Amino acid sequence: MIGFFWNIMLALAWAALSGDFSGMNFVAGFFFGYLALMVLQRQVPVLKGYSRRLPRVVAFLVFFIKELVKANYRVAYDVATPVWYMKPGVIAFRLKARTDVEIMFLSSVISLTPGTLSLDVSDDKKVLFIHAMFLQDEEQLRQDLRELEHKILNILR
Amino acid sequence: MIPFVINIVYFLLSLALLLAFIRLTRGPSLPDRVVALELIASIVVGFVGVHAIDTGISSLLDVAIVIALTAFLAAIGFARFLERGTQE
Amino acid sequence: MTDIIVSILLLAGAGFMLLAAVGIIRLPDLPTRMHASTKAGAMGAMFTMAGVAFFFADGVVLARAFAIVVFILITSPIAAHVIGRAGYFIGTPLWSGTIKDELRDNYDSQTHTLRSGYEDSPESVTLPPKPNPDKNP
Repeated sequence: MIGFFWNIMLALAWAALSGDFSGMNFVAGFFFGYLALMVLQRQVPVLKGYSRRLPRVVAFLVFFIKELVKANYRVAYDVATPVWYMKPGVIAFRLKARTDVEIMFLSSVISLTPGTLSLDVSDDKKVLFIHAMFLQDEEQLRQDLRELEHKILNILR
Repeated sequence: MIPFVINIVYFLLSLALLLAFIRLTRGPSLPDRVVALELIASIVVGFVGVHAIDTGISSLLDVAIVIALTAFLAAIGFARFLERGTQE
Repeated sequence: MTDIIVSILLLAGAGFMLLAAVGIIRLPDLPTRMHASTKAGAMGAMFTMAGVAFFFADGVVLARAFAIVVFILITSPIAAHVIGRAGYFIGTPLWSGTIKDELRDNYDSQTHTLRSGYEDSPESVTLPPKPNPDKNP
């Protein structure tokens, strides 16, 4: 997060010094700032791992948008056609995420994806209860959720 | 082209508003009505955005921000109210 | 060119809103209705805001539309979670086609506690430990 902030600041400085505040120039400044931070991160402890984290965040965004479109299409199909293919149900999902921030991030992403809705976390924060709309293949769904959690933990840890 | 599209969009949004309103009046339980209210707030945010394009006044986006904010607070408040009702 | 992009974005937004409204009318119980309404409604609002940003193509408007989109992205899952949880715990009946409910048995409505069913196991990791080439024992 701090690394990203510094990257934005470097991009702003680039734009100000070259006197051109257009979008393309800002992107160029961001890229050069990223390179500079990549060199710096060995010396500065706060920036550790920043250069590896940013591509992961971008990859996660792409993956998330793809999932969003896919799931939206599925829900839309079920809503719009007269026959219901859905088999809704509540499943208990065993969490690998430990801290509050990780659990909050994961449950928010799960809630944003159509077809799954996080209802509650158990009192000892070990299980997330999820209402899913399509439980035809529960194993597949659990695997997808596991993959999503793995990707999120990769970003946050 | 844009004015024609905006008319269609107005029509679709009005239809959505009408359907959400039916659920608001008919909803069997209170949470159903709260969900309908949330949806109505989203649709109104869309309405304000389309109206900003229609009139060319970009300041209308502030209205959309305020509506989104109050809808969120209303949802949180309703949920607190619902849960406290069961505990006592 | 801009006109076409704006038109497509606005129509997509309105389509999502209409989809959410149809879903909220047609679907049988509270959680499934929330699947339709909260996500499709948020998507609709986000598409409309993207259309507004493209139409004005101005820095201030762009920042505002971006702020609205981020705000919706942050708040809509929280609102969905809070309403869904409240609706579930006050005992809104689920649809008869619901095939599974692993939450009902773990919830104690008297003390308002929610067990996980894994109290005795110390750590949450159930998968076999991955071989880690970096750390030599």
